[in-house]
Amino acid sequence: MDRFAYTPVQEQIIAAPLAGSRYISGPPGCGKTSAAVGRLRRMIEQGITAESILILTPQRSLAAPYAREISRPDLPAGGLPTIVTLGGLAQRTLQLFWPAVAGSSGFRHSELPPTYLTLETAQYYMAKVAAPLFERGYFEQLVIDRNRLYSQILDNLNKAAVVGFAHTDISRRLKNAWIGKPEQTIHYEQAQECANLFRAYCLEHNLLDYSLQIELFAQQLWPSHLVRQYLSNQYRHLIYDNLEEDVPVTQDIIREWLPAFDSSLLIFDQGAGYRAFLGADPANGETLRELCDQTGEFSQSFVTEPALQELGNAFSNILRPKAEKTVTPRALTGYSFAPSRFYPEMIDWVAAEVARLVHEEGVPPGEIAIVSPFLSDALRHSLMHRLLGHGVTARSHRPSRSLRDEPAARCLLTLARLAHPLWNLPATPQDVRAALLQIIGDIDLVRADLISAMLFSQRNKQAPLNSFDLVKPEMQERITFSIGERFMRLRAWLMDYIESEPAELDVFLARLFGELLAQPGFGFHDNYEAAGVTARLIESVQKFRRVTEATLQATGRSIGQEYLMMVADGVLAAQYLLPADEPPPDAVLVAPAYSFLMINQPVRFQFWLDVGSLGWWERLYQPLTHPHVLSRRWQPDKAWTDVDDFSANQETLQRLTSGLIARCREHIYLCAARVNERGTEEKGPLLYGIQSLLRLARELEAGHV
Amino acid sequence: MFNPRPNQKEILSYTHGFMGVSAVPGSGKTHTLSRLAANLISSNVLDDNQEILIVTLVNSAVDNFSSRIAGFMTEFGLLPDLGYRVRTLHGLAHDLVKERPDLAGLSDRFTIVDERETNEILANAVRGWLRAHPGFAAEWLAPEIDLDSDSYIAKSWESGLESLAKNFIRQAKDLQATPHVLTDALAKYKIRHSLLDFGLDIYSAYQRALSYRSAVDFDDLIRLALLVLQSDPDYLMRLRHRWPYILEDEAQDSSLVQEQILTLLSGDQGNWVRVGDPNQAIYETFTTASPEHLRRFLRRGDVTARDLPDSGRSQPGIIKLANELIRWTMEEHPVEDLQNSLTTPLIRPTPPGDPQPNPPDDPAGIVLYDQKLTPSAEIDTVVRSVKAWLAQNPDKTVAVLAPRNKRLVKMADDLHAAGIETVELMNTSQSTRQTAVLLQEILEMLAKPVDALRLGKVYKGINRERWEAPETRDLCRAVHHLITRNPKVEDYLWPRTGVTWLEELNAQSVDSAAIQELEIFQQLARGWHEAVLLPIDQLILTIAQDLFAEPTRLALAHKIALLLERSAQTHPEWHLWNFALELADVAANQRRLDGFSEEEIGFDPDQHKGKVAMATIHKAKGLEWDRVYLLSASNYDFPSAQEYDQYLPEKNFIRGKLNLEAEALSRLKAVMAGDPAALYLEEGLATTQARLDYCAERLRLFYVGITRARRMLTVTWNNGQDGGGSRENQASLPFVHLSAYWKETRNADSR
Repeated sequence: MDRFAYTPVQEQIIAAPLAGSRYISGPPGCGKTSAAVGRLRRMIEQGITAESILILTPQRSLAAPYAREISRPDLPAGGLPTIVTLGGLAQRTLQLFWPAVAGSSGFRHSELPPTYLTLETAQYYMAKVAAPLFERGYFEQLVIDRNRLYSQILDNLNKAAVVGFAHTDISRRLKNAWIGKPEQTIHYEQAQECANLFRAYCLEHNLLDYSLQIELFAQQLWPSHLVRQYLSNQYRHLIYDNLEEDVPVTQDIIREWLPAFDSSLLIFDQGAGYRAFLGADPANGETLRELCDQTGEFSQSFVTEPALQELGNAFSNILRPKAEKTVTPRALTGYSFAPSRFYPEMIDWVAAEVARLVHEEGVPPGEIAIVSPFLSDALRHSLMHRLLGHGVTARSHRPSRSLRDEPAARCLLTLARLAHPLWNLPATPQDVRAALLQIIGDIDLVRADLISAMLFSQRNKQAPLNSFDLVKPEMQERITFSIGERFMRLRAWLMDYIESEPAELDVFLARLFGELLAQPGFGFHDNYEAAGVTARLIESVQKFRRVTEATLQATGRSIGQEYLMMVADGVLAAQYLLPADEPPPDAVLVAPAYSFLMINQPVRFQFWLDVGSLGWWERLYQPLTHPHVLSRRWQPDKAWTDVDDFSANQETLQRLTSGLIARCREHIYLCAARVNERGTEEKGPLLYGIQSLLRLARELEAGHV
Repeated sequence: MFNPRPNQKEILSYTHGFMGVSAVPGSGKTHTLSRLAANLISSNVLDDNQEILIVTLVNSAVDNFSSRIAGFMTEFGLLPDLGYRVRTLHGLAHDLVKERPDLAGLSDRFTIVDERETNEILANAVRGWLRAHPGFAAEWLAPEIDLDSDSYIAKSWESGLESLAKNFIRQAKDLQATPHVLTDALAKYKIRHSLLDFGLDIYSAYQRALSYRSAVDFDDLIRLALLVLQSDPDYLMRLRHRWPYILEDEAQDSSLVQEQILTLLSGDQGNWVRVGDPNQAIYETFTTASPEHLRRFLRRGDVTARDLPDSGRSQPGIIKLANELIRWTMEEHPVEDLQNSLTTPLIRPTPPGDPQPNPPDDPAGIVLYDQKLTPSAEIDTVVRSVKAWLAQNPDKTVAVLAPRNKRLVKMADDLHAAGIETVELMNTSQSTRQTAVLLQEILEMLAKPVDALRLGKVYKGINRERWEAPETRDLCRAVHHLITRNPKVEDYLWPRTGVTWLEELNAQSVDSAAIQELEIFQQLARGWHEAVLLPIDQLILTIAQDLFAEPTRLALAHKIALLLERSAQTHPEWHLWNFALELADVAANQRRLDGFSEEEIGFDPDQHKGKVAMATIHKAKGLEWDRVYLLSASNYDFPSAQEYDQYLPEKNFIRGKLNLEAEALSRLKAVMAGDPAALYLEEGLATTQARLDYCAERLRLFYVGITRARRMLTVTWNNGQDGGGSRENQASLPFVHLSAYWKETRNADSR
């Protein structure tokens, strides 16, 4: 109670006896998680062994409040609770019980330990398995790049595991739902064949991709009396937060496990379910309520003003086909509609309005979020650049993309190539210029260009960077001595490395980062984003190394070299970037709408960009997979028609908008551009919804309502 | 204020059902259709989520429609942008597929290949195929031809086959035939024909290449749009609800598949208005587009047929000439099969008191020059005439129109030599070129940021208009001078400690306006320097957002961004310099951005008074000038199915002068129509039929050319032989007739 006062409802949860099961639900922003964190603290303070507490969330980022709490210095000393997702729990348990399940699950070398695949390394092996099929003309009619194709097949396997159907049943489900020309279903069969081959490959080589980890846990380990006893002994108390974002198989396991806990607290966010495309099943999750001894509702929002709440209601009704459409006078104060003719005009306007809020109204930048359905590099750059021009600090957050698209990763890999002449992966002056731009703090394009033109030698692989001292004095002056000095430090570091025994790529990167790039005067110093990318890259290399070491050693190829080639091919693609645990800095947040929701940090002001975009409404279309058809809610023999598609999209939009509104305290700016980034007109359902809202507002003002 | 004529009023009284309108050139059909859309929207027939769908032919018309409707809506006191959607068929197809790509077997990130990429894929495929099928050339070339000894013919042979392949694929897609479907159909009839084998093999290779690139072409887009509509009845129902009214412009150029798409979208009980001029159907060769679709629609029992015959565009003499061409074709054309190439309604001058009266009658303004000229003499004659006329009429508009681009290139050179400024409407428009050049210059500047001259070029490029404007001219030049004379770019853009370059200039008492201008440009250039690490497409979009506001330019920048992104995927090793070279290609007119010819940008002849517009007749459609010169009215460009006529698509080096394209395509159609008998028809019949189709289209092209003129029209022809040769061209039959008719009319008038 040292940070803020709890409400009586929260107090009740915190102080409730540490026995029996509780289920609380309510819209976002009502303090459910805060209450659960308070309860966690109370449990530990009351002497419950921390190791006996299991905190389960569907995604690591959602566990951030718990992670922060247990890292507080004033918490009683002792062990730590387990904060984990189902995947994490599966991995831990598998490590313990591997010998018991390996043989019966068809692994060829059950005597050897398994290798856990990440999304990236699974994709690497999928590419190996599927390549021969392409030669035979598979997927010929399909217009999609290969890396996305691999990830969709993997996604199907994962869906089968988390929903709980046999992976061999994927194509049947997809085919049954298909309403188009029958000849197109051949791709489903081909994708099934790839999935089967991949599974066989994993069994043959002791590889555990996510789907196998979940399947083994749910189907082999969990049903085992031994395992259940172990888990039940280990964990006596459960906090299961955001269960609406979790997949059915986790919810099922919890259903069976629930009676075994001494105490359990289940938290359900109403109206959420943003991870549906990843298999989240709020409806299945909600059925856990019936099993709990006590249930409770949180309804009072700590976040939104009444105006916003009423706006949320009005919007929900507008988007529901048969609901009565009304708006209250108070709701009208909760938003402004800001139309622009052209996209750049909209960006300018947003930047200027944000600056006005910050500079004239004294709004802290951290209380402002700019969200859009997608956040392209260009949009991000233009916005950040304009905000900076207005003297406003801003940060952006977006799920990561392919590593090769991250300039920081490219910079690190360029240095890796320079440092490993034997790999024979030469860098060009342009690569070096791009790397210098990031490495040397406050360098600019002109000076980076001068250096790369004068001091980089493509031919001299053993000493690719020449000494700054060789440059004529007037040129040195142009480049400046402070830049020259840092360049020389980079050069010295690199030369030292080249002359010594080469390290593994991940070790090289970690050293490069720690010894040079993160030092004051260098570009990664105080640059959280670049540091995040570096950490991810190192992790990715480590995992790649762990998984491929044995196979590659046999071929004589270097892991670093192979890794670089995979990155260049785009095979090593996206990983979801996890937000840092530390509280956000005071900066305007620029993020895709879904990322903003998953960060779950309310703000006072929101700007919704490009409300005409269809991106607010439609799901990602992927020809080989289908989030709804492969979900548990779908009847396996039903055809998926446009009626389903439309209502799913409409539901998505409704969920998204109400989620955003619930995370806004004061005011929402609805920003539209008649002509979008691509120079075309787009009038998506959100814009039409806003039009209805504006019409209701006009009628209200004219006294018709 | 729009004051409709009685015929227009009839159309504006439309409330529901099917209506077809035949409109003559200059009858205000766009204006009427826009007004009809605005009327429907303002009459409250639409729900919040419904729109009027307007489908037209080219992108410039999209903007034209949008701004007219927005104007009317504002006049009515309504929000200008809601309640309607204007699209080309490609745009509509893109919308349809983009909304449900899953039904088309596409991922949501599919891209569209441009013309050059298509051509590259086809060229490779054709070359490979010919190597693997050495007997093919022997089968089709004239016996005396030896490809090894004549590289010109070898090249023509190959490029002819590339064009054949391209049209084969286009036609197959129009007929909804995938390589797979076609293979099955051929297997069913157990027929082998080397042209079909060739077409199918190249088609399969081409589709594989597209699939590898995760891309589709424009014809796929339309094919897939129809496929998605046919796939999911619920989707179709939703779209029918969204678009309760469909207004279609330029319906005479509607293809089979366009008609199918719009038929599906409107439904049996739908509201569909089709407006067009069957006499202006000029895009039919080797497509399924045909004015017959519109004619058939107009004849349907459930369709209200209307005419828009009044036109205030041309002087009475020109109207007489155009009407005489229609009458002669329908009644006197010596080839009966060609008599339906042009149809009524005839053009009627506007009634007295009309807000758009016709220009005054001026028979002397019409010259049908029937003397035989050599090609150079024809050009000389026109250049002299243009020069004399422009000197006296600097505030008037004038165009030189020819059936083919090649002729215009020579014409433009000679006009320039005579000191006459021209405006070209050729493959890439100036605006496309300017945009591409500017982006190219910026990329070059970013590739070589140390170079002050490149920085200066960019400054000049973004200030193109101010550079010429009298009030800013001196300032721009002074600033440009300062930028390019500064050897240390970093002191300007990224000054470090001490006195900066700008401060130095200030101390040197350089004009404060120039300093201010330099500061603004500094900010802009720094922004791009900072964006240099973005992926190339995103870099282009970022620059575009700083520079362009107009939709066409933004759209163009977006196309360029996609083009370069695709290049980056194919060539991951590329750097800024390579991308700049790629753009140089676009800028140098070698690479047409698909869907981005001049129509995209919209061309307004009135913006170019005192200069000569140069255009093919095709490109001139929809436009009008005070004076028009129509070149090359010979039987080579306008044949009439006469003994002595020659045909562009028929090559001397092909056995029996067969039109291979026509022969291949007729067989393709027969296969897809399930008409095996047609497959066994003798060789040459398709060539003959293609001649007739070509002649018919050329007659309409002639009509379109004539009706571009407001006040003065000069038509000339040439014998095609500057240096002598075996067979010279003659004046084309319709020209000969009109020329005689005009003489007679003038004589009668003078009597």
